Amino acid sequence: MLSFTLRKLLTVVGTMLGIAVLTFVITNVAPGDPARLVAGPNATEDMVATIRTEYGLDRPIIEQFAIYMKDLLSGDLGTSIVSTRPVLDELIRYAPATLELVLVAMTLGVVVGVPLGMLSAVYKDGPLDHVTRILSISGVAIPAFWFGILMQLFFSVDLGWLPVSGRLPLVTRPPEMMTGSLLIDALIAGRFGTFQTAFSHIILPAFVLSFPCLASILRVNRAEMIEVLQSDYIVAARAHGLSSRRIVMIYALKNALLPTLAMIGLRFGWMLGSTVLVETVFDWPGIGLYAVSSALASDFKPVIGVTLLIGFFFIIANTLVDLAYAWIDPRLRRA
Amino acid sequence: MTTSLLDIRDFTLDIDTFDGAVHVLKKINLTVRRGETLGIVGESGSGKTVLVRSMMGIGPKRSRIMDGRIVFDGTDLSTLDNAGWAKIRGVRISMIFQDPMTYLNPLFTVGKQISDVIAAHHRATGKPKAGKTARRARAEGLLSQVGINDPTRVFDQYPHQLSGGMRQRVLIAMALTGEPDLLIADEPTTALDVTVQAQVLELINDLVRTLRLTVIMISHDVGAIAKVAERCAVMYKGEIVEQGLTKDILRNPSHEYTQRLLAAVPEIDEVAGVHSLLECEDPAPFESETSPAKPLLTAVDLRKTYGLMGGGTVKAVDGVSLSVMPGEVLGIVGESGSGKSTVARMLLRLIEPTCGEIVFDGSSITGLAGEALRRKRRDMQLVFQNPHSALNGRHTVGDAIGEPLRIQTAMRGRDIDKRVEELLDTVQLPKAFKYRYPHELSGGQKQRVCIARAVALHPKLLVLDEPTSALDVSVQAQVLTFLEELRGELNLTYVFISHNLAVIRQICDRTIVMKRGVVVEEGLTDAIFDRPQHEYTQALLASGRQTSRAALL
Repeated sequence: MLSFTLRKLLTVVGTMLGIAVLTFVITNVAPGDPARLVAGPNATEDMVATIRTEYGLDRPIIEQFAIYMKDLLSGDLGTSIVSTRPVLDELIRYAPATLELVLVAMTLGVVVGVPLGMLSAVYKDGPLDHVTRILSISGVAIPAFWFGILMQLFFSVDLGWLPVSGRLPLVTRPPEMMTGSLLIDALIAGRFGTFQTAFSHIILPAFVLSFPCLASILRVNRAEMIEVLQSDYIVAARAHGLSSRRIVMIYALKNALLPTLAMIGLRFGWMLGSTVLVETVFDWPGIGLYAVSSALASDFKPVIGVTLLIGFFFIIANTLVDLAYAWIDPRLRRA
Repeated sequence: MTTSLLDIRDFTLDIDTFDGAVHVLKKINLTVRRGETLGIVGESGSGKTVLVRSMMGIGPKRSRIMDGRIVFDGTDLSTLDNAGWAKIRGVRISMIFQDPMTYLNPLFTVGKQISDVIAAHHRATGKPKAGKTARRARAEGLLSQVGINDPTRVFDQYPHQLSGGMRQRVLIAMALTGEPDLLIADEPTTALDVTVQAQVLELINDLVRTLRLTVIMISHDVGAIAKVAERCAVMYKGEIVEQGLTKDILRNPSHEYTQRLLAAVPEIDEVAGVHSLLECEDPAPFESETSPAKPLLTAVDLRKTYGLMGGGTVKAVDGVSLSVMPGEVLGIVGESGSGKSTVARMLLRLIEPTCGEIVFDGSSITGLAGEALRRKRRDMQLVFQNPHSALNGRHTVGDAIGEPLRIQTAMRGRDIDKRVEELLDTVQLPKAFKYRYPHELSGGQKQRVCIARAVALHPKLLVLDEPTSALDVSVQAQVLTFLEELRGELNLTYVFISHNLAVIRQICDRTIVMKRGVVVEEGLTDAIFDRPQHEYTQALLASGRQTSRAALL
């Protein structure tokens, strides 16, 4: 198991390098002269040339790549043109909000999706199964930005139950930063009122973000459960006199969880990507919103930074899934 | 000994399908006396599995009892609720299954699975729950009772780390957990090798004696039934057509179906069969040649080594040489793990040999690659063991048979259609079958389709990898006869792989015996069967003869 883990970690390093190279290539083959973009539409040729030299854009591509990789490895992601601050500092500032949102959404997706999928498999073709079927199809089909606005209109504007957007109202003083997650920091500081406020802010965006994920987890888990429940070892477990509850919740679910786990890993990456939409709709101050505002201002270093960060989280999530696979399935634990 | 433990009266069961109800069991009358072993013989689809599963309340979901009842030790089972079943299922009636590979949960250790059964039984019968160590001790006791030498190690192992025979023993241990009165054995040896089969049957017989178990054993293998059951019933299409003492039924079967079934069982010591019958009509070509002809296929020193993840290697095939003359049927016999399937696949270059040389039809195919190899594949085809998984469920029979024609020839549209019809004719299936899908066909029909697909390109060599072991005995006999006829008709050469000695004897001219990747004996089939030289061959034949009909009469 240890050597398996170490091997997995090695592939993380390799994949990260791949992402770094790919990001560089894409920004260089993208049409348009970055120096001219940075300089703006009214810049003179001289200004463009100055910027080109300043950013090292006049050097050969190989040399640019070497500088890019050297900077990356020393943790330098460049400077944002708009805010003139290092991109790394800004990512550290914005990332916790996104991570908090994604983790809450993922928890929601798993905690609701897995049991619902299991129940609809057990009561296949019953009323619950039909409801979850509609739920899972709409979850995958409805676009997040539209669904988000709909939720805001209903729960915030019409009913007034939940705040429309943001992470905390301007008047509330955020708790002292420990983990970056407002929910956890508020609990650590013992400020339960702030926790409640922060929680009411995260409900809607987390739900909108998790809906498609919940739907596909439900779908996969249902299909897998149906298959597993028909397998020979389940027939044998019944014949040996095990209770139905134990058979479904332990013997069958563990087998059905394997493909569901793969779906969770994929959906995690997908969620990070859709924070760009959800954070814009809910004005959530995370890396998604940061990426959008930077891109609109033709500020490229932050966009590259966000891309690398999302790639990094995605790889970490899928490595964890791989490890969980081996933990659950003894047949994968070789040597 | 005369009290009846299980009494089935007029039991009739329907299963609801989209096309209406199907009568799966029709007026079954059966009595099992305490302490006896009853056999139920029948082919797949005869309803024998549905019958025994109904005795445990784990029958098919959409089934309905139309009439009759099953009374177990004074309790009418059809009236039981969940709590009632919990006191019976696994506790008083328990079951062992056909395929030990798929009836154990792959994600839990053997010990955990047995301990859970123990705990469930304590809960159901209201006994105080035993602690973890007590359950472990009981589980290890059960494992050693079924002949597992190191129960402590096996307890912590996962099913995939055990051999087929070991897994069947584990399943038997699980079935014994509740100290049942009635043990139902559903084809317990079908998926096992001959020698392991004999061991498992021996174990069941021992347990019957020492634990005074009552056993119902179902099987399509008459030999296995005869070895353990003094009384047996023959099932056919949901009915019991005959029941009585096993010996009587074997000696003079009264029902027409039983007679057919018995006639279809190939016998190890029976040379007369389709084989000799065919020789009269059409002498095998290689025998008629006076000068030694050139072999169609020669393999020299084939080896296949697999590297293990933790270092070290496994020699799946360790230096096998063989040659096949044109028109000959070469048998490869051996137990699972002997490397016979690996050899078959290497001969066709479907698995790359680690080293060795293969000469087919005068030219070496070891070095061939890409287009040249693809062209060569026309002349050599493979027929798989399980026809149910060898056909794509979403392709019609016509698509399946036409596929090699589309890939390997310039034939298109109507020509392919015509050739498909010819091929269906060759394999004795109606032309209209080309519109059917595999699930609408029986096992034997599917295997015929697979054979039609294999011979579509007029190959010279057909490698048959256990082509009948997934089929019922009566279907097996038909397919074997058909293969013999086809060989004469199309001038084919066969490499025939099987673990079934009787089948090998029936169809093969020459045979090689494999064990752990090496050839231990080779020669003319009759010589090997009559005068086996190697002790492994002798052991193999001895265990095969144990369940042969002749030995039981």
